[in-house]
Amino acid sequence: MRKRRPVVILSSSSEEDEPAKPTSSRSATAPRKRPRGGAARKGSSASGPRRPRVSRGVEAVKFDRLSADFCEGLEDFHIAPGFQCKQGIELWVDKHRPHLLEELAIQKKKVEEVKKWIEDRVKTPKEDFGVNYALVITGKAGVGKSAAIHVIASEIGAELCEWKTPTPTLWQEHIHNSNLGLPYMSKLDEFESFVEKTRKYSLLQTSNSEGLRKPLILLIDDLPVINGRAAFLRLTKCLTTLSHSTRVVTVILLTEYCKTESGGSPTHHYEELETSLCRAGASKVTFNPITVNSIKRTLFRICQLEGHDVTADLINYIAKSSGGDIRHAITSLQYCCLRPDKYFSAQLSEGISSKIKSENSTLLPLSSIKEGKDAYSALSFPFGRDETLTLYHALGKFLHNKREITDQSALDSEPILLKDSFLRNPLKMDAPEIILSQANGQGRLITDFLHENVLDFISDEAIDDAWLVISYLCEADCLLSNALCPTYPRRLNVKYGSEGIAQSIASSVAARGVLFGNSHPSHSRWHTIRSPRLWQIEQSMGLNKNQMRQETFESYPCNMSEMASEYRPRIKWLNSQTSQDAVALQNPSFYPLKAVDHADDIGSDGLIEDNPSEESEDEIEDC
Amino acid sequence: MLWVDKYRPRTLDKIIVHEEIAQNLKKLVSEQDCPHLLFYGPPGSGKKTLIMALLKQMFGPGAEKVKLENKPWKIDAGSRTIELELTTLSSTHHIELNPSDAGFQDRYIIQEIIKDMAKIRPLDAKGKRSFKVLVLNQVDKLSKEAQHSLRRTMEKYSASCRLILCCNSSSRVTEAIRSRCLNMRVSAPTPEQIVKVLEFIGKKENLQLPPGFTARIAAQSNRSLRRAILSFETCRVQQYPFTANQAISPLDWEQYVSEIASDIMKEQSPKRLFLVRGKLYELLVNCIPPEIILKKLLSELLKKLDSELKHEVCHWAAYYEHKMRQGQKAIFHIEAFVAKFMSIYKSFLIATFG
Repeated sequence: MRKRRPVVILSSSSEEDEPAKPTSSRSATAPRKRPRGGAARKGSSASGPRRPRVSRGVEAVKFDRLSADFCEGLEDFHIAPGFQCKQGIELWVDKHRPHLLEELAIQKKKVEEVKKWIEDRVKTPKEDFGVNYALVITGKAGVGKSAAIHVIASEIGAELCEWKTPTPTLWQEHIHNSNLGLPYMSKLDEFESFVEKTRKYSLLQTSNSEGLRKPLILLIDDLPVINGRAAFLRLTKCLTTLSHSTRVVTVILLTEYCKTESGGSPTHHYEELETSLCRAGASKVTFNPITVNSIKRTLFRICQLEGHDVTADLINYIAKSSGGDIRHAITSLQYCCLRPDKYFSAQLSEGISSKIKSENSTLLPLSSIKEGKDAYSALSFPFGRDETLTLYHALGKFLHNKREITDQSALDSEPILLKDSFLRNPLKMDAPEIILSQANGQGRLITDFLHENVLDFISDEAIDDAWLVISYLCEADCLLSNALCPTYPRRLNVKYGSEGIAQSIASSVAARGVLFGNSHPSHSRWHTIRSPRLWQIEQSMGLNKNQMRQETFESYPCNMSEMASEYRPRIKWLNSQTSQDAVALQNPSFYPLKAVDHADDIGSDGLIEDNPSEESEDEIEDC
Repeated sequence: MLWVDKYRPRTLDKIIVHEEIAQNLKKLVSEQDCPHLLFYGPPGSGKKTLIMALLKQMFGPGAEKVKLENKPWKIDAGSRTIELELTTLSSTHHIELNPSDAGFQDRYIIQEIIKDMAKIRPLDAKGKRSFKVLVLNQVDKLSKEAQHSLRRTMEKYSASCRLILCCNSSSRVTEAIRSRCLNMRVSAPTPEQIVKVLEFIGKKENLQLPPGFTARIAAQSNRSLRRAILSFETCRVQQYPFTANQAISPLDWEQYVSEIASDIMKEQSPKRLFLVRGKLYELLVNCIPPEIILKKLLSELLKKLDSELKHEVCHWAAYYEHKMRQGQKAIFHIEAFVAKFMSIYKSFLIATFG
């Protein structure tokens, strides 16, 4: 936003209409000429100065629609654009920040719990050393953790003392500093020294000001970003000592990262941190995602305050799509209210109504495709939380294969009668294609993972199912090989996008095959999802092949398969025989040879790196 | 040096097994008019030996002075350039390579190399016989496109180069290529021929051969001369002097496959399937070609199977062998075969024994 504002000022001034400047100063004028939006203007339009209006109109289309609309909305909203921006527009999230306990959208019970906890601590005599002063609050982003603490503090009349992360050091600054001889201090270092200081001086401070000043609450919200194991251990140590020894009420907020694409590491860290803090004696409160109803209530209240008339449908939709994130819901609402007449025309209401319709319709398997289409169109709305899933989450859904339990009578009413062996209960999830698109899974990846893990999930009796599942995976593999080694030159495929289609068809076949085939899933329990061993095998196979290719041509040219299946075993045998090592060879299980070691060698620096080994230990809870 | 290499006949005259073919080839070459040749036949039948001997016949001892080259190729294919590295074995008169090593870009390599060869025409002392020979191994592994482009280049450059193609099965070579070549079928040697060769080697090595011993090796060799000689040599290392009933050790991977087969027969469950998968991976890591694994596995399974099921099992093996060629990752398909077999066998057991 900050970047954008000066630009807005410039464009609203009359500079644009100035006569064309000499071409030499083009580079200087170009940035100024940028109309509203932050989107970069293409260099091709550098001849702009002569006909600014026209180019502006054309450019506007090219902008990222969202940002353009938002800015336009902002401008239209205010009579005097540009200058007034700062004072006039206040984000509703800030404006309607809760000030009273009643305004909080969080469950009353939780708030009471936290409030009581803090009150107890604030009022207890300081001599009581048995009491622990640390409180950990966890919850997803936007459930109102900080808001709750702020409200409670003002309610109790305590002073909030907050750890604010210092501004990050830029690279240039760092260079500058190191030239001057200043040592670099990471954010973690700074945090550590901060904690150190508060531990040492807090007692002094409070005993000094006892009775005179308001009670103090130390709020640690923004934990420094940690990278790597060592840093994590330092942070944990730091926090645990703090929670051990603090004599001031300390509230630590931990944001629960919903499992995003970034991989398992932050999640792991967060969970570990939480447990270690609890072990150190800190009390813990978890805030659940806010319910749809209370979000709706809040949104209605804001609408009334702002004097906007928004349909109940829209609010309903926003509340549902926000996924329990109230901050997000409010911002969405503000965005919707910007230009109720222009943007939210027929298209939106239509989309919403269809979405609602599809939600009302029962989850029949046949309607799932239609539903899928609706969901896609819903995803294209410019708001709503990003609903990506991790690969592991998606795989878990496919592998666990949860289905509704329906009674036979309901199925009888279906128009198409299938044989019993083909009947399956309706899925307890979205259509597999939607899940795949959310997980952003490539065909190959999905197929390999499913192949590696699916056998664990099939009940031990059902070998027929295993065959069915694997035969579907086979088909997926065939589809993929057509997609990846195309008959046509590759660029042709890219041009028509057929590669992508083949990929997604293959992954859909794989996922649906697994879902359909596994009609007797094994009892649900914890399973570890492994990363495909196939990848390792392929790598070491490649290495072995190369090695063999060299050997082959050294001795005598013959083709690879003969070499592998005829020569090599014999040569190996002969070599071992000469070194008097025959006993081991009698045992056929000696067969695994150094090839496997190869795999480990590459694994540390090779391609497998793309899939961090930690991830493979991810466990998917059966819930 | 292995006996296989040591006693490989170097000239067409010395060839024992396919004497007739050798004589015909000699006649063909001496008349100076050599067409393109396609050798096909099962592994271990002596295709390569014939080709090497033929080259020597054509060019004299110069053909034996070969050098190994790992040459990078830069190929301009329309909008992009492909960079490949390919190992070739070449003398002044011929180049030998394995085009299927290039994967699915094989068609470019074929065109490019042949063009490259055609540019430099070797001249012998008389200024005559100005052609080079390109030996292509494993032509049956080439993609359809590559075979297509091979056809075109064969015609275009036939003045300056001759192709000698070598493959196991001519059915995977397109009609077009087959009709442009003189097809030489190199059949697998009969047990008698193998015995003859083994006795020849035994005489050269001054070995005492107990009666019937070579016949037993020949019977176990699957009519592959190479395998027979190799196991002959291992027997020699294992125990000498030979005894009449000396055990002939099978190849370790074959033993492993039969172990897998008995695993499959013992229990049919997803868990067992997973175990089998691990064992298959071990075979694949050692570069045993998946087709051969599947074939061997099938024959091992058939040995222990009720004849009622044999037909169906064979059908599925063929089905998945075909799928394997269409697909990319062999393990999927071998495993699907195993799973299918398990499911068939289990229902058979239930039907029979209740």
